[in-house]
Amino acid sequence: MAKRRRSSRSRRRLQRGFVVLTLLLLVVAVVVVAVLSHRVTRQFEGRRWTLPARVYAQPIELYAGQSLSAERFAEELDRLGYQSVSKPDRPGTYRRRGSVIDVHVRAFRFADEPQEARSLRIAFAGGAIASLQDPQGADVPITRLDPMLIGSIFPTHGEDRIVVSPDQVPALLPNALKAVEDRKFDTHHGVSPLAILRALFVNVRAGQIEQGGSTLTQQLVKSYFLDSRRTLGRKAEEAVMAVILESRFEKADIMNAYINEIYLGQDGRRAIHGFGLASQFYFGKPLAELDLPEIALLVAVVRGPSYYDPRRHPERALERRNLVLRVLAERGVITEQEAKRAERSPLGVAEAGRKGAVFYPAFLDLVRRQLRRDYREDDLTEAGLTVFSTLDPLLQEKAEAALASELARQDASPRKVSHGLEGVVIVTSPATGEVVAMVGGRRASFDGFNRALDAKRPIGSLAKPLVYLAALETGRYTPASIVRDEPVQIKLPNGDVWKPANFDKLVRGNMPAVRALTQSLNLPTVNLGLEVGLGRVARAFVQLGLDEKPAEYPSMLLGATNLSPFEVAQMYNTLANGGFRSPLRAVRAVLAESGKALKAPQLEVTQAAPAEAVYAVDRMLVEVMSRGTGRPARKSLPEGLVVAGKTGTSNDYRDSWFAGFSGSHSIVVWMGHDDNSQTGLTGTTGALAAWSKLMSSIPTSSFDPLMPETLEIRWIDYYSGLETSPWCDGSAVGMPFRYGTPLMASDACPPGSETPAEPLLPEETAEAVP
Amino acid sequence: MRLLPSLALVALFAISGCAVEPFKSEAPARSGASKGTGSPAGSAPVLSAPPEVAPPQPGAEPGIEAPVPATVPRQRPKVPPATMSPASKALVAQAEAQRKKGDLPGATQSLERALRIEPNNPLLWIEMGRLRMDQRNFTQAENLGRKALAMSVGDDPTQSQAWQLISDSLRARGKNVQAQEAAERARALAEQ
Repeated sequence: MAKRRRSSRSRRRLQRGFVVLTLLLLVVAVVVVAVLSHRVTRQFEGRRWTLPARVYAQPIELYAGQSLSAERFAEELDRLGYQSVSKPDRPGTYRRRGSVIDVHVRAFRFADEPQEARSLRIAFAGGAIASLQDPQGADVPITRLDPMLIGSIFPTHGEDRIVVSPDQVPALLPNALKAVEDRKFDTHHGVSPLAILRALFVNVRAGQIEQGGSTLTQQLVKSYFLDSRRTLGRKAEEAVMAVILESRFEKADIMNAYINEIYLGQDGRRAIHGFGLASQFYFGKPLAELDLPEIALLVAVVRGPSYYDPRRHPERALERRNLVLRVLAERGVITEQEAKRAERSPLGVAEAGRKGAVFYPAFLDLVRRQLRRDYREDDLTEAGLTVFSTLDPLLQEKAEAALASELARQDASPRKVSHGLEGVVIVTSPATGEVVAMVGGRRASFDGFNRALDAKRPIGSLAKPLVYLAALETGRYTPASIVRDEPVQIKLPNGDVWKPANFDKLVRGNMPAVRALTQSLNLPTVNLGLEVGLGRVARAFVQLGLDEKPAEYPSMLLGATNLSPFEVAQMYNTLANGGFRSPLRAVRAVLAESGKALKAPQLEVTQAAPAEAVYAVDRMLVEVMSRGTGRPARKSLPEGLVVAGKTGTSNDYRDSWFAGFSGSHSIVVWMGHDDNSQTGLTGTTGALAAWSKLMSSIPTSSFDPLMPETLEIRWIDYYSGLETSPWCDGSAVGMPFRYGTPLMASDACPPGSETPAEPLLPEETAEAVP
Repeated sequence: MRLLPSLALVALFAISGCAVEPFKSEAPARSGASKGTGSPAGSAPVLSAPPEVAPPQPGAEPGIEAPVPATVPRQRPKVPPATMSPASKALVAQAEAQRKKGDLPGATQSLERALRIEPNNPLLWIEMGRLRMDQRNFTQAENLGRKALAMSVGDDPTQSQAWQLISDSLRARGKNVQAQEAAERARALAEQ
């Protein structure tokens, strides 16, 4: 009895324990599901907008006098998808007859106001628009073409990918994905139990996990969390998340997310996610333009982007593509005939070094960052934004070409260290601070690391103009001030002694400031900088646009400060703009889908440094280009084009810089290795070549600012700094001085001497005036 | 064809005593000068004439806020008043229409378009400054006025407008004394 009672008691206890355990498990399960639900929903919500923000390049303005040839205009129209027809009576069509182009411009909703579609007759002459008329023959003062779409982005996410909305996806793609990867997609609830069972069976038999059996939803979840561990627990977690997703979102949203998310290949260290980017990566064209065999290839690659890599394993990829085509035919997605024809076509994969002109990851990254910095988060998560950017596609193309050709030249050089270099080019408009082109590397692609913005490198001699600016700002120095080219030793706080030397190890004694800067001599610059004070020099960096004061070490005078190419571009843009600082910007305006403009930062101008000091520094930077370290650029620059600039080389030739400007473009070029190893290049041998190639290939104007009214030009001897006459010999250089500045006169050739040393040719004279 | 305007410019500069000293890098233009005063561009008037007005005080640091000296040390040669291209005129008119409708962002966009076409036209920077006044961004209005000053050296009517803008922006911030000074400069320049 007692025994029975005891056993029934223990049975009851067992039952109770069982209930408690079950409840406990249930609670744990609920918590786990809630946590997973939160995670997966957040991830999905963040990317589910079916309408990403569309980013446009700057539009081409059309007005009489605009420098644009008929050839280039026709090219631009082709690029924008305008059709050449015999009767341009619909928007998006044009007809060229010699130097006259009739075009029916498309309607477009610009940020300032919508522009209606309209017919125009444009006559060209001498590389410019001669006249612009409407069909009635009335002059049109100004209008613009619809701008080029350069990308679609989710502003709040930082990935390098081309987001596509459903209307940009060929209908065949989702159907093919379903047919090949997940036949029950339209009806299942996130998982396919049968497939899992089958997979389990196969796996258990094989003793390890080999087969997926995943639905598209599960693959999507897996991609979100990028966990490649194939444990059973992991699988269960994925399955639960897939079910949660299905219960909360529409099938169409899930399919769209899949198309934008799934991993499809590897480009060096950069993962290719989404069919939009994959289409560019493999075929060099937008997803909407892919044909059947191309779509089939991408669907084939989904199963194993590395195993079926069409570049590395073309036979495997071809075999699997044709398998996909047969499956599609079997399941009625395409006809037998279509499949047969498609099977015969080649893979059609574009060369790895594809044309970059269609994709601007570095620039789009800048757009994304500036949007996040300048706009309200709530506004940015709104669907269907239109972003008007500052990119000039033609300039971008030229910038990519200039960098590519210089890198190719270095690759072919006998010096091993200058092979495989990376490079950055940034082009800005001095007056407005607009970033019109930005190249982030040799492949115009990057994996989250944007060299133009994130690579911080010592700027070398690019720092020197700031030392001279700081000196001139005090009012105690002029371009004729004598600086000492003599050795200097500085004891550092840590006990080390810093002993800078000139690049050529020579010492030249006293010389005027203009020569020291023009020839980029280290010792005079260090001596001058120490006299002026490190604090003042550091302040000049901030005046020109650096966010933070650089650390005040003596070596900063020679550019030990690490800056990104973008920061350098900001500082030099201020120099190019006469000392007026305009924050560099990549976004002009943003429109909500409703057509309402979002509150945006406007064009800003701040006088950051005294105009007189900046004018003098700029004038010295012009000398750099005519007789200093920038002189080799003259070989490729158009004769008569006045430019200013400065070379920069960091210690042991690790970084090659050039920063300089014309009247309408400021350009910064950096070249170096990602691992910061030696390049064997100076600023002159590396970056300057790319810089001058670019500067000479774009329509630009001479650097020719108005001289501040408190200044006058006087002629000094380049070697002695004594006042002289321009006719004495080649060593006279015209520099700005405040009225009444006392200058010592040269004995050999005092000011006022009238005999020219060598007569100048008349052509040179004509070109001296821009 | 394109040489003609250049030559005309050379002559103009030479005659006017060369206010606009081009940033040329080699020795100065001899023939340009010979058409004018017979001495090198830009240097002749300076070398021949002694300073008429006391130079700026030594040691006075040209700070960012430094007031421009009330007496300009030397009469810089005059240049013709700035004008707008037809394209800029159309855009300024469009901006004005947008401003009247209260669409200030739209007006900004229109003026920025004009500025991209003619970035060196001081009149457009003044227009932009006036728009900033409407937007109650007085500091930027002044900055834009100063930018216009920098690019209109020798152009009295335009400088006068720029000083008027600066005066308005100072007054709006309660800087009445400076505003008065700026207004007087504007008036003096308008009378010349």
